[in-house]
Amino acid sequence: MADDKNSSKTGEKAQASSGPQAQPMPNGDTIVLPAAAAGAGKIALIVGVVSLAIAYFTAGGWQQFSHSYLTAFMWGLSISVGGVWWVMLQHLLGARASVVMRRVGEVIAQGVLLMSVLALVIIVPTVFLHDSTIYQWVNHDYMESSHALHSKVGYLNTTFFFIRMVFYFAFWSLMARWWLKKSMAQDSTKGDVEYTLSLQGKAAPALIGFTIAVTFCAVDFLMSLDAYWFSTIFGIYYFATCVITFHSFLALAIMWLQKKGVLAKSVNAEHFHDIGKMMFAFTCFWSYVGFSQFMLIWYANIPEESHWYHERFEGSWMTASLVLAFFHFIVPFFGMMSRYMKRNPKTLKFWAFYLLAICWFDMYWLVAPNIHHGGVNFQLSDLFAWVGMAGLVVWFFVLKAQKKNLVATGDPRLKRSLAFENI
Amino acid sequence: MTQSTSDNQQPLFGVIAEYDTPTAIYNASKKVRDAGYNRWDTYTPFPIHGIEKAMGIRMTKLPWIVICATLTGLTTAILLQWWTNAVDYKWLISGKPFWSWPANVPIMFELSVLFSAFATIFGMLVLNNLPLFSHPLDLKERFRRVSDDKFFLVIEASDPKFDHGATTELLNATTPVVLEEVRDERTSSTAVPKPLVYILLLGLFGSLVPFALFAKARSSTMREGRIHVVWDMDFSPSYKPQSDNIHYSDERGMRSPVTGTVARGHLNADEHLHLGKQENGTYALTLPSTVAANDDIMKRGKVQFETYCSPCHGTAGDGNGIVHKRAEALGGAWVPPANLLSDHVRSQEAGKLFNTITNGYNSMKGYASQIEAEDRWAIILYLRALQNSQGIAASELPEAERAQLK
Ligand code: HEC
Repeated sequence: MADDKNSSKTGEKAQASSGPQAQPMPNGDTIVLPAAAAGAGKIALIVGVVSLAIAYFTAGGWQQFSHSYLTAFMWGLSISVGGVWWVMLQHLLGARASVVMRRVGEVIAQGVLLMSVLALVIIVPTVFLHDSTIYQWVNHDYMESSHALHSKVGYLNTTFFFIRMVFYFAFWSLMARWWLKKSMAQDSTKGDVEYTLSLQGKAAPALIGFTIAVTFCAVDFLMSLDAYWFSTIFGIYYFATCVITFHSFLALAIMWLQKKGVLAKSVNAEHFHDIGKMMFAFTCFWSYVGFSQFMLIWYANIPEESHWYHERFEGSWMTASLVLAFFHFIVPFFGMMSRYMKRNPKTLKFWAFYLLAICWFDMYWLVAPNIHHGGVNFQLSDLFAWVGMAGLVVWFFVLKAQKKNLVATGDPRLKRSLAFENI
Repeated sequence: MTQSTSDNQQPLFGVIAEYDTPTAIYNASKKVRDAGYNRWDTYTPFPIHGIEKAMGIRMTKLPWIVICATLTGLTTAILLQWWTNAVDYKWLISGKPFWSWPANVPIMFELSVLFSAFATIFGMLVLNNLPLFSHPLDLKERFRRVSDDKFFLVIEASDPKFDHGATTELLNATTPVVLEEVRDERTSSTAVPKPLVYILLLGLFGSLVPFALFAKARSSTMREGRIHVVWDMDFSPSYKPQSDNIHYSDERGMRSPVTGTVARGHLNADEHLHLGKQENGTYALTLPSTVAANDDIMKRGKVQFETYCSPCHGTAGDGNGIVHKRAEALGGAWVPPANLLSDHVRSQEAGKLFNTITNGYNSMKGYASQIEAEDRWAIILYLRALQNSQGIAASELPEAERAQLK
């Protein structure tokens, strides 16, 4: 890679600040976050902590707060879990187009470390204090009250719940850290192809583990809110959200980095177009899965299944359900269809914020009917918990983005990625 | 550089310039675009990124064609399902409404996709003037390398701006490797090849055969019985009511409920409401407290009575319904339905009547599976009204109705 060495000066500067062996960018782009940008992370942290505190005090009780928190938590979790998936997928497919953005994805995936800690707010009361406010199945008498529930005790009990939780978060954290570590190790080898090949092979089994984790995680956190209800497609439903929120966050993160002078030349309309396509595609996928779930349950009309939808069709929940269908599918479907929407950073930014918001509403729609029957009962704590979660997610991203090459300069496919064009 | 062909009889098709590199043709395209030509094109062995901009090609109209097709597909699906299910051939499936949108979405989705896919493929062909069965460039020996390693730019003579001298000069300025005239020397026809036409026609007529068979089947009478295409569905292996089943020790196909369980909605906890019994076990004399004797219930009872009872017992309750009349006309063994206005029925307790409707009486079957308990009581209320309406003194009638009798 002799030609890389005599590229421009900015590249060398980046190289200097990120360790001696790292490669500079072939196009001389800055790839390390300036120290001044850390301030943004601190602001986000303050916003996060203060908002969560406000949420706690405005909730007026553990029941409301725990549900507001769970809504926000599942939203925040989806971003980083989507990141873990995406990073492994890029390796599995031997993707070239995305190489220039992969490090940013790897950094976003680090969010699962934060989420592992934030999950304790739900796990500790449930498992160690046997608090059945969120999950009624914690209560023994409740589970013995009917035959349908009794037969689920083998799965829905605090011990097994805890074991599963440990598995999800340990697995994701391990994955997030390992893929980043390997990718950075490749940076310092001046583009060793062996890494690329070995990572591709390992991505396949890792993704199988991922699929199991995300499916059951959705079942445990969200589906088991109603111990009676079951839907085999539910894991995929949440996974669709993960992909949407991750790509939206990725687009916004890169735009922010570019404002700070990082990656300014490397990521262009072609790459944004790619991100936009994934956002659009998975919005359709979410609708497909969501509707499949609804239609099969509606058609079979079995009380154990259909009551879940009944709760969401009661009173003003009906409006909320229609709002979800309309703003999570119809609007982005027609709005994001055109390629201009995805190639223009301004419009893509709008859709990224839009989708992040509507995905939160989806989580709200999944969680809140558990305590508010008969109609939507929107609480300030719902809003503040969400803002707080967003603050923490942003803070952690900025924290992890510091003092790193924000491009996988050692990936042999980097040049292909830089020159990538959609036809 | 121009190599004029000696044979000038054939009309001029255009001027062709050959290049060695994508960059060269890219730059040449920009010049031709800026010169304002319309009927010209580039031919390359692989897609060149950005050439469409260099050539000044506008965004294709295809997406608009596709969205129109999508909406047509969607509308077709909605109309098709609405007409077949809710208008032309209503078929009740487990109590679902005839027309309800969730059940119809899969077809809406599928037809939208199908129409879009066709519009994309055929729209693309039409917009690209395809299929093209012959082209003047086909005969150019040199042009064959377009699928290998050469890049060509052709300005057609039919372009309004085309001027032999000026155009050649313009292309010369782009430093092509070779610059030539193309004559339209085609010997093959531009028409669709005959064999293809025959195959298409054959396919078209072939596709009509099934419809012809349908038409024939509809207009003729079959003696052989129906054709069974899907045997599993026509002869379902499930056990029918009253059939035997050797897998159980009692060899009965129908199973009795598991002891100690109650099916959903069959708890029947209220003895008066569900069994027509009083606390001491005798038949109740009145309606249960949950069924009010008001106008609404009376109307409900009339509807139910006329639906379920009148075919046998007649709308008046005199035992002269159409089923009875038909049975009489046919002759043979037939137990006539009871006259519900007779003293024998009049004198029965409400609870006894309820029992008759619920469990049946001799050759009359029970109606519990079809009529809700509340509605059975409503029928009794209406039946009482029918009984009271018969054989009363004219003096008891309201003024207006008495006037009508005269
Ligand atoms: C398929 C024809 C049929 C229908 C429909 C029918 N019944 Fe009957 N019903 C009969 C016949 C036949 C008898 C006489 C049975 C006998 O005496 O063996 C009878 C007898 C009765 C009796 C007299 C029982 C007794 O104690 O003598 C009552 C009351 C009665 N039906 C009420 C009703 C009501 C109310 C309905 C509507 C829910 C109804 N039936 C529907 C055929 C019918």
